[in-house]
Amino acid sequence: MATSVQPDAPPAPHGHPTYHEVTRDIAATLGNPGRGYFVLMGFVLLVLGAGVFALLYQIRWGLGVAGYTPPVMWGVYITTFVFWVGIAHSGTLISAILYLFRSAWRTAVYRTAEAMTVFAVMTAGLFPLIHVGRLWYAYWLIPYPNQRGLWVNFKSPLVWDVFAVSTYFTVSTLFLILGLVPDVAAIRDKAVGWRKKLYRLTSLGWRGTDQQWRHYTKAYLYMAALATPLVLSVHSVVSWDFAMGIVPGWHATIFAPYFVAGAIYSGVAMVVTLIVPIRKVFRLERYVTAVHFENLAKLLLLTGSIVGYSYVTEYFIAWYSGNPFERASFWNRAFGNYWWATWTMLLCNGALPLLLWFKKVRRSIPALFVLSLFVNLGMWFERYVVIVTSLSHEYEPYAMGHYTASWVDLTILAGSFAWFFMWFLLFAKNFPTVSITEVKEIIPMPRRKGAHA
Amino acid sequence: MNRRRFLKVLGVTGGGAAAMGGCSTERVEKLIPYLVPVEDQIPGIATFYASTCRECPAGCGVHVRVREGRAVKVEGNPDHPINAGRLCARGQTALQGTYNPDRLRGPMARTASGGFEAISWDDALARVTERLAGVSPDGLWFVTGDERGTLHELVREWLGAFGSHNHLVFEPFAYEALRRAGADVFGVGAVPTYRLGEAQYVLSFGADFLETWVSPVDQTRAFARAHGYHDGRMGRYVHVEPRMSMTAMNADEWIAPTPGTEAIVALTLAHVVANHHADRAPADAGSLKALLAQYEPEATAARTGVSAETIHRLAEEFTAAPSVALPGGIGTQHADAHITAMAVHLLNYLAGNVGRTVVFGQDDAGVADYAAAARFAEAAGSGAVGVLFVHGANPVYATPAGLGMADAVAKVPFKVSFSRFLDETTVLADLILPDHDPMEQWNDFAARDGVWSLQQPVMEPVFDTRQTGDVLIDIARRAGGTAASRFALGAATSDLYKTYLQGRWRARQRGLGDRGPFEDFWHAAVQRGGAWTETTPRAVRLARGLSIGTPSQSTPKGQFTLIVYPSISLFDGRGANRPWLQELPDPVTKVTWSSWLEIHPETAEGLGIAEGDFVEVTSDAGSVEVPVYPHPGIRPDVVAMPFGQGHTGYGRYAEGRGASAYQLLGQDPTAFGGVATYTVVSLKPTGRHEPLAKTEGKNRQLGRGIAQAATLTGLAAGVVEHGPEEAAAPVPEREERVLAEVAERQQELTKYGPYAFETTRWGMAVDLSKCTGCGACVAACSAENNVPFVGADQVRHGREMQWIRIERYFEGGEAGKPLETRFVPMMCQQCGNAPCEPVCPVFAAYHTADGLNGQAYNRCVGTRYCSNNCPYKVRYFNWYDMSTPNDPKTFAWPEPMNWLLNPDVTVRSKGVMEKCTFCVQRIRGAQHEARLADRKLADGDVVTACQQTCPADAIVFGNTTDPASRVVALAGDQRGYGVLDGLNTRPSVTYLMKVRNVAEG
Amino acid sequence: MSARAAGVLAAFRHVDDASHAIRTLKEMGYRDFTVYTPVPNHEIAAAVGHRISPVRRWTLAGGLTGLSLGFLMTLWMSLDYPIVVGGKPIPSVIPYIVIAFELTILCGALATLTGLVVHIVRTRKTAAYDPRFTDDQIGVFVPCDTDRTGAVQELLQTSGAEEVRVEA
Repeated sequence: MATSVQPDAPPAPHGHPTYHEVTRDIAATLGNPGRGYFVLMGFVLLVLGAGVFALLYQIRWGLGVAGYTPPVMWGVYITTFVFWVGIAHSGTLISAILYLFRSAWRTAVYRTAEAMTVFAVMTAGLFPLIHVGRLWYAYWLIPYPNQRGLWVNFKSPLVWDVFAVSTYFTVSTLFLILGLVPDVAAIRDKAVGWRKKLYRLTSLGWRGTDQQWRHYTKAYLYMAALATPLVLSVHSVVSWDFAMGIVPGWHATIFAPYFVAGAIYSGVAMVVTLIVPIRKVFRLERYVTAVHFENLAKLLLLTGSIVGYSYVTEYFIAWYSGNPFERASFWNRAFGNYWWATWTMLLCNGALPLLLWFKKVRRSIPALFVLSLFVNLGMWFERYVVIVTSLSHEYEPYAMGHYTASWVDLTILAGSFAWFFMWFLLFAKNFPTVSITEVKEIIPMPRRKGAHA
Repeated sequence: MNRRRFLKVLGVTGGGAAAMGGCSTERVEKLIPYLVPVEDQIPGIATFYASTCRECPAGCGVHVRVREGRAVKVEGNPDHPINAGRLCARGQTALQGTYNPDRLRGPMARTASGGFEAISWDDALARVTERLAGVSPDGLWFVTGDERGTLHELVREWLGAFGSHNHLVFEPFAYEALRRAGADVFGVGAVPTYRLGEAQYVLSFGADFLETWVSPVDQTRAFARAHGYHDGRMGRYVHVEPRMSMTAMNADEWIAPTPGTEAIVALTLAHVVANHHADRAPADAGSLKALLAQYEPEATAARTGVSAETIHRLAEEFTAAPSVALPGGIGTQHADAHITAMAVHLLNYLAGNVGRTVVFGQDDAGVADYAAAARFAEAAGSGAVGVLFVHGANPVYATPAGLGMADAVAKVPFKVSFSRFLDETTVLADLILPDHDPMEQWNDFAARDGVWSLQQPVMEPVFDTRQTGDVLIDIARRAGGTAASRFALGAATSDLYKTYLQGRWRARQRGLGDRGPFEDFWHAAVQRGGAWTETTPRAVRLARGLSIGTPSQSTPKGQFTLIVYPSISLFDGRGANRPWLQELPDPVTKVTWSSWLEIHPETAEGLGIAEGDFVEVTSDAGSVEVPVYPHPGIRPDVVAMPFGQGHTGYGRYAEGRGASAYQLLGQDPTAFGGVATYTVVSLKPTGRHEPLAKTEGKNRQLGRGIAQAATLTGLAAGVVEHGPEEAAAPVPEREERVLAEVAERQQELTKYGPYAFETTRWGMAVDLSKCTGCGACVAACSAENNVPFVGADQVRHGREMQWIRIERYFEGGEAGKPLETRFVPMMCQQCGNAPCEPVCPVFAAYHTADGLNGQAYNRCVGTRYCSNNCPYKVRYFNWYDMSTPNDPKTFAWPEPMNWLLNPDVTVRSKGVMEKCTFCVQRIRGAQHEARLADRKLADGDVVTACQQTCPADAIVFGNTTDPASRVVALAGDQRGYGVLDGLNTRPSVTYLMKVRNVAEG
Repeated sequence: MSARAAGVLAAFRHVDDASHAIRTLKEMGYRDFTVYTPVPNHEIAAAVGHRISPVRRWTLAGGLTGLSLGFLMTLWMSLDYPIVVGGKPIPSVIPYIVIAFELTILCGALATLTGLVVHIVRTRKTAAYDPRFTDDQIGVFVPCDTDRTGAVQELLQTSGAEEVRVEA
């Protein structure tokens, strides 16, 4: 890291906090939580319980209890799967890609983003299991030697998914832990009681010696270098689940870039959604400033524009191709039974982000927060539109149908959010949500004789 | 015998042993099956028994497939003169009657509290004998269904033995109008046989001859043969009816006259023919001119709504080629129906068709008209009936509510029912002596002149039932005196009715001039499924003093004419307890499991209602609430509703579904003694809405060329309609090579080797110019492949499982353009480049050596990607567990229904995808046989279930790499096309365009 | 290398002092001292003057292994269980690229971390430590025998250490 960040990177506006202050302030965010925390956690666990019940109910009676209506064979579950995988993307983007791009502002937000990534993948990973007809045989998708002498079909995008998502989960988790080690060490040296034990364990004997830093910095660099193409690949693979199908509305070459942009878009939005309350509750205004939000906003604007452009392209190509099925499919999107979903998507993802052209909006934290919520909503609907609407209007007119989610679908959807926030809450109170080390890095070390040559 | 086969056999023989040992569902299965081998039972090998289908009075011959002592499938008897191996949907589902969980399991008597208690047969028979002793001969009544044959004679004789003649043969669809017209015009009160196969031109005045009318399978066969396109020729068919029925949908031209004026249209036509085209008319036809004088086309046009030009054109067409005119069916049986029928007789007579395409036989023995039923009701109501026996009829359900048949029957002091089910009539009975199922009994049925079909027991009775014939004879013997002496039967002590039956057949043998020993004759007959002989048509002349009544039918302004028509699947309602029939989509509306009211879209709009909205239909007789289905093929001033639903009894599958049309029909017999199925109604929206449980998505094909058609003239000029603009992408050379290699490699892997074809790619050809949309294939497929029914709610979710479906698309109908309908049987296309295969992560969907899209159910994880990627949407997912009793909500095979499961086909479990396999079990079976016989498979050795039963012979199956095969010949036809072949899926199913024989190119 | 308890431990606040001290130490011929910093720092790294970390070799090796593993596995498995789907060749390389790619990344990442752990474990153990080193102070520990502690102590103090402690 230090290999990249120059000390004369943009300084924190209110003058530098000292290293000691940084450690102190961030360590202060940990420790024993108050009542509000437990109330929140209680609620989250309640919703999660409901989700688990719905899942067990579905396993007992069969997928019929979900809203599936052939020909719509994929519904809320796959929608939510793609949604969470998408969320997972900004984490690695900020920690890896921006790292390689040497942008200093990332240090204040990347830890939250990375944690979010890991938990989002953990959530996403559940849905392929939830959605299959025989969940208890889902392990058949893994190529393991078996008495049936049968291997998996590597031509199937679903198998690509298995590899892509599990790889992504592993790498982003390791990346998170790697970044945590020096921080945990710093906290270890402050903490007392059982937490000290915990951190002594998790800091893996880190002391920050010259040797440790020597290998560490390189390892971190290479991890970032590996994670960068991974980010781009994972959502491309997910998008191929659709692009490889012959379903009108799916079978398009634009899907990979379109989905990757969308993923980062939704991810950044989720980061904003999470950082704003954290900053308030943990009183980190000094470290996470309007500058950071403005940068995030710019990222939103960029990816949002790409997504909006993709929408336009999709429709244009549908018309330009002259393919009757494509045309019908897209006409149905805009004006068919699911018009409301489509227009929600266009409004939230296409129109609203245009406000970010205004500096006022970019620098106003409340505005950004509200906007980020809309983007989250819009991105969920984007996947809903792509999956459900396309499937409901395929080739065979006699076999067209209309899908509506059942209470099971929706409860499990809610449960997935609870699952995600449960992990995040646990993390936020036990590990620094802002990187101590990296925040220090962008603060020049004190020197006796002024700035060095 | 490989391990799997061995296990399969072992698995089912346990039950088989039980079955052979005289089954009841409670019986403990033997752990060591076939310790004592059963004669003519080879485990794992099916035995076929010839019998007769008794689902309707058509009397088709069947072969029942029996595995390990259980009937598992019914198929047509190829030697039978009526159906020649084909069956309709009702016949295909007969076993759901045999194995119906609601079948009565033994004799029952009414208790003081009003319920029923099981009693012993001895007790039951004793009670009957005792009652009979006390009843006066006139007070003794016997109501049967149409039992033409030995049972009919037995009942007569039996009644005679007790001094009674009160035998009412109650058949709801008795064709009174037709028989009356026959009597009036020719002095023959019979339903003639119409030889559609010999008519190049068919003109129907509402007869649904492809659905339920008289003998649908026979007529469909003949019609498809004569009307179906072959080598540039085909017949022409014009249908005259205010409603477009499934039969009408197969017409080249549909004429919708003002409801009730069919008679006038027919008479007008007769007039024109008599005056201008009478060259083929017999000598004595001249007298008709005067009789028809008043029916000038110009004069009647205003009233009928059929222009004079049309009439003149029809008259010319009708007399130009060998033709036949068909009278009204049950659906057009209004007050003037007998006049329609008379006019039709005259038309046929004038065109010289009588004796050629219209053939009269003997008068039908004693099928009573509705008037007789009404008289019975009156007698019963007045207390004149002391003891009532009911067999094979459900008069309480199948008569207009206004008649009060229920109350009348209730008034009878002692009522005995022989019904197998607790239907509306049987619940009123005091004693129930359940009869054997047709699959379990000896009997015969004389469906038409010169055809005597035999029934034989194909398996041990499922329950503790007794054959009614045996019971009657037993009763007579117990009664003693003359009755006993009449039924001595050479002192036979067992198989009483069989002995009686054989007595009749001895006479028949003599009648047929067979001098051989009876045993030989009998065994031959049983094996053949009966005995039949050529009959000489009966020569008929116009009756003296023929006069024609004046049509009076009309509808008051502002009200609607309700047409009540027979349901192709439920018939008069007797099919309502067969779940497969309940779930068989109606060919016209594609609705399942319920009633509906067909209404013209504009009318619906006018009333401010849409599909699924309930309306209150009110006639003078009563009112019902039904959801509407907007049907473009019906006159705006007409609404229509099928018979068959609204049962209050008859078991779990029939009870409380929809409404019974009998609530709306007037109870007064018409002039010709029938029920008027036209009635005037008013409609009132109720505001209630419920989505119809229908299998149809869109009813237009959005120009996608799913169902393609051409006109006869256009075809001659090589003009054929095209599919979607997107042209078929050329197949990359590399792909071709790969496919070839693949086929070779896989061929080596298969064990069938030289006994199968060297290289095989199974394919199918479906001739849309023959397909009538009847749905027999759907039922056959379900029966062959253990396809579960899912129930109305699941159908609403689009989760029906039928592996083959009949898609019904409308064309035209907009201003000016005639409305046209097309049917497409859609099953798995077994694509060469199947999109479903590569996306399956676990190889559950894969390509077999012989070009099938294999589906390994037990390997399926249930990602459903294959279904998303299937352009034809022919993959079906098991949303619930329909195969285990643990899931009572969804279990499709409640004991003993599970007995009809085909042992050769996996019963799919929860969470797996399933689909049409081209009946792969039959393919492998045929390949095994070929190997055992050490010969190669020949074209036609493999017959799929749908192909086997198709009454129109529209489906042909075979090996597409065998240049000599029928399927290859058809696939090369000028009309051949693949559905959505622009996607380069390379389907194995070739469709042959429908051809319409219409004037305009 | 075994950790040596005895030595001198100094805590610096200013990075330029620390790096100067380190340089002098090296001039005086000390090699086996240890520097603690809360964050990695150029000047310190330069002063200590390590060769570039070998972890990158692990990354390369891991990546290549993953790549070949990916192709070998997919190809072998599809040949071992030859099933035709959608009229595609049984071994079709193009779709397998995806698998190979993912495995490249996975193995690369795992190898990198393994390398990191291996190399860190291999580095010198240090006994003397102070919690401040992860907070805001730079620590320098010079292991030496008691007879020479005086010199080292003196050097460290003059170069501006806030605190110098003799560990014995």
